[in-house]
Amino acid sequence: MTLIERVAPALEPVDISDLSTSLGVSTWPPFAEEIVEFAAQFSRRLARRAGPVPELQALAYWMRRSAVARLARDYKSLESPGLLMVPRGLVFHVPPANVDTMFVYSWMLSALLGNRNIVRLPSKSTPATTVLIEVLRSLLDEPQHDSVRATNVFVRYGHEREVTSALSAACDLRVIWGGNATVTAIRESSLPPHASDLTFPDRLSFALIKTVAYARLRSEVRDELATQFFNDSFWFDQLGCSSPRVLVWVGEPPAGEATDFYKRLLRSVQAKGYSVDTATALSKIAYAHRSVLDHGVTRVTAPANELTVLELGDPILESGDYSGAGTFLNAWVSSLNDLVPQITRKHQTAAHYGFRDRELRDFAVALNGRGIDRFVPFGEALQFGRVWDGRDLLQEMSRRVVIQGQP
Amino acid sequence: MSVADLLERPQYSILQAEKDVLLLGEMRRLTDHHRCASPEYDSILRALGTEKQAASIAEVPYLPVSLFKTHLLRSVPEEQVFKTLTSSGTTGQAVSRITLDRPTADLQTRALATIMTTLLGPRRLPMIIIDTPNVVRDRRLFSARGAGVLGMASFGRKHFYALDDDMDLDVSGLERFLMENKGQELLIFGFTFMAWKYLLEKLRVIEVDLSQATLIHSGGWKRLTDQSVTNSKFKEAFERHTGLTRVHDFYGMVEQVGGVFLEASDGFLRAPNFADVLVRDPLTWRVQANGEPGVIQVVSALPTSYPGHSLLTEDLGVIHGIEASAKRWRGKRIEVIGRVPKAELRGCSDTHAAQVGQ
Repeated sequence: MTLIERVAPALEPVDISDLSTSLGVSTWPPFAEEIVEFAAQFSRRLARRAGPVPELQALAYWMRRSAVARLARDYKSLESPGLLMVPRGLVFHVPPANVDTMFVYSWMLSALLGNRNIVRLPSKSTPATTVLIEVLRSLLDEPQHDSVRATNVFVRYGHEREVTSALSAACDLRVIWGGNATVTAIRESSLPPHASDLTFPDRLSFALIKTVAYARLRSEVRDELATQFFNDSFWFDQLGCSSPRVLVWVGEPPAGEATDFYKRLLRSVQAKGYSVDTATALSKIAYAHRSVLDHGVTRVTAPANELTVLELGDPILESGDYSGAGTFLNAWVSSLNDLVPQITRKHQTAAHYGFRDRELRDFAVALNGRGIDRFVPFGEALQFGRVWDGRDLLQEMSRRVVIQGQP
Repeated sequence: MSVADLLERPQYSILQAEKDVLLLGEMRRLTDHHRCASPEYDSILRALGTEKQAASIAEVPYLPVSLFKTHLLRSVPEEQVFKTLTSSGTTGQAVSRITLDRPTADLQTRALATIMTTLLGPRRLPMIIIDTPNVVRDRRLFSARGAGVLGMASFGRKHFYALDDDMDLDVSGLERFLMENKGQELLIFGFTFMAWKYLLEKLRVIEVDLSQATLIHSGGWKRLTDQSVTNSKFKEAFERHTGLTRVHDFYGMVEQVGGVFLEASDGFLRAPNFADVLVRDPLTWRVQANGEPGVIQVVSALPTSYPGHSLLTEDLGVIHGIEASAKRWRGKRIEVIGRVPKAELRGCSDTHAAQVGQ
């Protein structure tokens, strides 16, 4: 008998061999009233509790009633008279250690689709996870959420392979977020023959800005843009998979534009009160030095501990062992197509400003799947969506049943 | 004035103002030398915009000490490499690699010798080493600890290793050693934590007289501060239980040859003639006023074979003023507070992997 900690519903040790069976075998219909209501209440309660934490506010906003209703409509549109969408069954989620809100996105989407869920919480608790778990637990305690409680469990355990293996052996779909090493380690535990993995390994993101478009902007709009870029890059200390690390100026070489933009970004950083501790400042200094030798950085500018700008000699979309927390590799290319050879599978999000849809589309067509899964405007880099890392989660977390009538 | 002169002149005898001038000359010479000899070093300084010569020690560019963990930087051709030093580090952690040529290695030996003879006199003393003999014998154990012991062993004779492999004190061996060397000056060396945990903790219950000894210890206070053992408590306990009054901590790192800072009689560390400590404000990176804590930068005139003459450490410290009047122990009164506390950063891919990997 191996006991692990159940975090929600109600904190208590549970036996892993009972865990998956305790959730029963039945699934709920997709977007069942109970779970939709749960999401709406979760959203409301979280919005109240979240205070000024933007990541929690963003999560609450993502699962508000109208957003879930839109998701349900999107889901319906995937069906047709000859194609029915049904739940996968039992989904085992392994969220990342440090994007503390991720486990809710992964779980909520799966639960809305009718699946039973086991969520392994990161072993390290952050203030944000503490709030999330408190809200989650209080909701699950309420009698009106009996059905949600009966089919979902949140656990916390060390890195015992035995536990991961037992949970893997019981699931129909395993969702692994986190670094490449995590994916590889979890994959050592095998799945039932019919089950599959949905993996989200290490990714790298960057931003594209058209020099002439920026040059044309009025001062207030430039400030607004800098604030949006602040939100993209400084949440999660710039270490999220979607956080831009490289800023590429496209078209004309930026003369004063880059300097102007970073000056405004720094003001935004200061206005938001973002600050780094000494250890982080040291790690940024060390990264800046390494980047000269590893990435051909030709100029290091650090007007404050919170902002380090590293001028790349060549537009390399690589960051190596990256320090985050306000570290920007700055580059220039004369056209988007110059970036094509640099793009690989590892590139996820390109936050953009100043491009026409057509230009982005042509670029994506030129890439033809080499990499980049998302082109989103400045300010939306971290916004989670149902299509992630090139896959539609509504589809990945469902099965399709073909219903072909008699001719 | 050359490095040789700084080594020759009595250690800790130079007034700070004179030392600043002498060291600045050495720092300029070394910065120019490394720019010519190491393209990597030069490209870093160019990227940092360091063009003009430093007008003061504070203006001398520094490298973060961790750079030696990821990059092998040297200012000598490969065929002149005499040995490569490596730092300690727990399993899985990157270690620093420091390239020494023959002249730099010789300077290192002379530097340590001049520091130790200043403290211990010219004669080698019977020596107790607070460690197991296998720390220097067993290749698998050979580490910075072993290197530290070997480095110090040359300042003593009749070495007695006081611990066994289980870190148990060889009490009868110790008593025999003290009997044989009765009435003589002794030298004791060990790591700070081991001196406390494996020597002193045992000597609380056994009667031994170490009043003739000088204890030199190193390795940092982290594990002792966790048990709220301060330097003064450490010294007080040694005096009470063993009569030992001459206790000297020292601070240094493998990444900087010559940067060896020894505790003076007032309880603060001092820099030798050829090295110094600066403390920087962790927000502005300007040199802090005396009395204000900050991040320690170490400078040394010795590293010629690799660009390690000016390094930003990951330690916090304070300068408690400058000793000018006394004949001995002149210079900055340095206190090392300890490691900069670890950062708590987020992000989606790093820490989990590190844990899973175990």
